Amino acid sequence: MNDQDTSGYWRKRLGMDEPVPADELTKHLSWHRHLRPLFYAASSIPLRFYCPEKVLGLENLPAKPPYILAPNHLSTMDFVTVAWALGKRKEKLYTVATSFFLDQPFMGFFMKTYGNMVRIDTERDFFSALRAAARIVRAGASVFIHPEGLRSPDGNLLPFHTGVGLLAVETGVPLVPVRISGTIDVMPTGSIIIYPHPITINFGKPMEMGPYIEKKKTAQAYDVYKEVTEDLRQRIIGLSR
Amino acid sequence: MPDDQLAKEIKGLVSKVIKVPEEKIDVNANIFTDLGVDSLLGVEIFAALDKKYGLDVPEDKLAEINTLNDVINIVREMLAKKGK
Repeated sequence: MNDQDTSGYWRKRLGMDEPVPADELTKHLSWHRHLRPLFYAASSIPLRFYCPEKVLGLENLPAKPPYILAPNHLSTMDFVTVAWALGKRKEKLYTVATSFFLDQPFMGFFMKTYGNMVRIDTERDFFSALRAAARIVRAGASVFIHPEGLRSPDGNLLPFHTGVGLLAVETGVPLVPVRISGTIDVMPTGSIIIYPHPITINFGKPMEMGPYIEKKKTAQAYDVYKEVTEDLRQRIIGLSR
Repeated sequence: MPDDQLAKEIKGLVSKVIKVPEEKIDVNANIFTDLGVDSLLGVEIFAALDKKYGLDVPEDKLAEINTLNDVINIVREMLAKKGK
């Protein structure tokens, strides 16, 4: 027996032993989603001609949800560019956002229109975000997480938060590295103007969690979460821009 | 368990979790800023305490932790409540 196996505590914090409500996926859907086809159709024009988006590796995505999409973070438009690349698959994609953003009239409207937002009330307790994401995955949908947490100011990857490794290992779903490039030039931080610049979205091969789960039997849980997170970062670095 | 023995045990456990030798851990040092522990490694300390003492430290307590002394005090308080 591994005397370092602390998974029980982590699983409790993630709410893994609590049942997933039957309405877990539907309760986060807002009326804004009915506008989604229109908004993505309108977005297709700039994403095809003005800041043309090249999509690579879409065939790497698992055939069915759940999985965790983990892209680097450059711009507020990152979610839209990835979701646009996914086509219909975006309907089974959720992301966690705080009330602070969702309640802002302009930003909140666009966030809820472009994606399925899971509302959490505080940023202080990071477990509430991870618990919400774990419930979505356990209900059978995919989640979108920026492991850096913040937008990179210069396009270089920031350190990754270990929570993404924890979520992937404890839920056991594949973790998909995604490299976004170009969006920092299209819509830099603080800008509301969209500049012409090509965008590339590169989906990497999914990281299966089996080997890491196996490793956890003989190692400290945190070390395994950290390893997954670092492996993810290296895979994103390895994806061409 | 005597207080100093408990403190020594916890220091040993924390040292093992964060991989910093015991002699380099000052009980009053901030484990996050001075010892480079990230927030999740901080949680791993409580996961290890849960494993050793059966203490399910609630999340609101996690936010109160800054030093090893804070950890020791919380464990002491929770063990007292458990009647150990």
